[in-house]
Amino acid sequence: MRLLYIETYKLFRQSRTYYAILALFFIEAIVLLSAYYQGTGIIDIVLANLKDTFYFQGKLLNGNLIIYFILNSFWFHVPLLCMIIVSGMLTTEYQEKTLQTVFMQPVVKWKYLLAKYIVASLFTIFLVLLLALTSFILSYGIFGKGDLVVYTNGLTFFEHDDAFYRLVYAFLFGTLSLVFFSVVSLTLAVLLKESFKTWIAAALFLIVSTLLLKIDLGNEVWNQIAFFKLNNTWQYFFNHDIEWNTIIINSVLMGLYILVTMLVGLFLFQKKDIG
Amino acid sequence: MIYCERVHKKYGKVRALHNVSISCGKGEILGLVGANGAGKTTLFKILLGLVTADSGEVEIAGDGAKKIGGIIEKPALYPYLNAHENLRLFAKMQGANSSKQDVEASLEQVGLPLNRTDPVRNFSMGMKQRLGIAVALLNNPSCLLLDEPFSGLDPLGIEALKQLILDLTQQTQMTILISSHIIDVLSTVCTNLSIIHNGEIVQTGATSTILAACTTSYSLCGSDIKKASFLSDYDTVSNGDCMTISASATEISDIIFKLSQQQIAITSCRPVLDLQQLFNPKEK
Amino acid sequence: MKLHGILLLFLYAANGFSQTAEEQVLFVKSRLDSIETFQADIKLHVDISFIKMPDKEALAVFKKGEDVVIKSEDFVLIPKRGLDLSFSELFEYPFMVVDRGEVEGQSTSLLAISILPSDNKADFSVANLHIDTQKQRITWAEINTKKDGAYTLRLTYPDSQAILPTKLDVSFEMDRIRIPLNFAGSDVSIDRKKIRAADQKTGKIRLALKYRNIEKTQ
Repeated sequence: MRLLYIETYKLFRQSRTYYAILALFFIEAIVLLSAYYQGTGIIDIVLANLKDTFYFQGKLLNGNLIIYFILNSFWFHVPLLCMIIVSGMLTTEYQEKTLQTVFMQPVVKWKYLLAKYIVASLFTIFLVLLLALTSFILSYGIFGKGDLVVYTNGLTFFEHDDAFYRLVYAFLFGTLSLVFFSVVSLTLAVLLKESFKTWIAAALFLIVSTLLLKIDLGNEVWNQIAFFKLNNTWQYFFNHDIEWNTIIINSVLMGLYILVTMLVGLFLFQKKDIG
Repeated sequence: MIYCERVHKKYGKVRALHNVSISCGKGEILGLVGANGAGKTTLFKILLGLVTADSGEVEIAGDGAKKIGGIIEKPALYPYLNAHENLRLFAKMQGANSSKQDVEASLEQVGLPLNRTDPVRNFSMGMKQRLGIAVALLNNPSCLLLDEPFSGLDPLGIEALKQLILDLTQQTQMTILISSHIIDVLSTVCTNLSIIHNGEIVQTGATSTILAACTTSYSLCGSDIKKASFLSDYDTVSNGDCMTISASATEISDIIFKLSQQQIAITSCRPVLDLQQLFNPKEK
Repeated sequence: MKLHGILLLFLYAANGFSQTAEEQVLFVKSRLDSIETFQADIKLHVDISFIKMPDKEALAVFKKGEDVVIKSEDFVLIPKRGLDLSFSELFEYPFMVVDRGEVEGQSTSLLAISILPSDNKADFSVANLHIDTQKQRITWAEINTKKDGAYTLRLTYPDSQAILPTKLDVSFEMDRIRIPLNFAGSDVSIDRKKIRAADQKTGKIRLALKYRNIEKTQ
């Protein structure tokens, strides 16, 4: 508990944490604006040939659709910024040699790093909650409520109440992916120690994971369990019928990946000399 | 007490330490002298538990949760926190007392002001060293390791730090091990010296004994020193108002006596160490 | 037209004479024309293969001579065709009636007829109807429009006297929908083969009507 408090204290005493949070909000604002301007055009295109057969009553460009757009754009810049901040929790300690000072005190190595993993995970969850909360407040406040339309092999419409819960669940379950990337970045920091090397490796990991998401591995089992295939579990909430079994299995698997990555980091850190 | 025997450490093909044994008892100040890259820092890291030796025995005796504290190279502190916050943080992480009173007591012990609230990045090197020592002293260790504590300090800073070290030994009977390449300073603080060269301890003993054995000349300074005609009997090298005279410890006393008889004032008398002798005592 | 209707009513009341197809159509038309206004709570159920939408509720307001107005707080898809329960668009211009003979209905026999407009201004080319000759109302219609393709209507009535249906199925043709890729979720695998293989899709909207009030001509 002491170590958790200390890590949290250090994290929020550094200005770069606030720069990162501000950067995320800035990006969110840009996404909000572009979603608004792009959204009208997209809806027009999507519904173009429905217009031959139907009249539309009610507005589709509403808060739910804006939140959905924000959610879709979430999965690169948010983990990237998280990875930079989280890896910095360790790389700056190597750089400034405060890690030496820490381990000249009677502090257990793996416990110290475990505290960093836990705080990194909690910080990531905190960021997602903050972004989700602001997305909901701003989107509903500016664009109002209404049906949500998504395209997943067909047009699916969700009424507002249903859409709200799906969006909330999508944020919640998608948070696991972000926690995984944060944990990976900290493990990379254990391996590489230097800030720039760790950022590059973390960014590469994120980019490759995003690219591999679309690749068919040719094996149904691997397509189900490979970690990069689990990063889009949140999308299952926008199928008409929510496949809870798949979501839960994917979430458990992601949890296991997080644990394994942490254990690898803890093992390496415990074995390695400091300095 | 700090004790290590036959410690070996290699980094790849580079031999950092070979068969190193040192011992420093309670209330003792041991100086570890060596050139840059001799292995001082590596040894300290092993003693502090930061690095694992390839072989050998290390023993740090003491009571309490923290037996040994130290500073490796420059004191590493959180630059965005102030002195109070740094101390409180390091105290808290090891379960030591971290109340405001305890923190202020630590600051006072090392002579740091209590009212300084700006972050540590604004501190001078001397203040950082003091704060580093305060952190090292948290949780009352019985041993203290200071790696190159005098480097980067001005003369006043060096004097203040020397006094602090002496006070610590006198007040707490702490075992202190200091490494430096500045022999002049170490010789005034340490009771014993160990000389390390190329990863090996080449000699160990009382400071006075070691220095005497390596002193083959003295540097005498005085405005009229050149007027001392008898100095031509000795091997001398002149440098302004100073003259380096090849003489033994006994001979130099005679020289000083003769100079005083000739009423030639001496402003300083400094032994000049034969570094070759210091680091390679077998090659005489 | 009005005189024609009265004459037919007289003939029907005499109850001893059989009617021609045209007479049947005109009689049904007169029944429908008697509706001045109505308001109905409707439940819309979309039955289109590539659209999943929950059932929606709306209010339909009809005024004779005007288009039906649908009001809803939610987003609703309102079919452009098929809400004209008075079938006024079929009878707007002069028309010919072709008798196609009898067809078997669920519990009654139906008269199949085709309505062919004589005027080019009409926006349909041919309309095929099934008329329940006993209850004097349309149970099925297939209307081939000139611009908007064909659509069919299946009407279900609550009782033998009702002029207006309580269930209406509107079926129509739909082209493939074009989806911009960057709208799709980040991992939507677009099954292009499936999309290409699909022919022109048909869709259906099911309306359940619950009338609040119906005003008829006296």
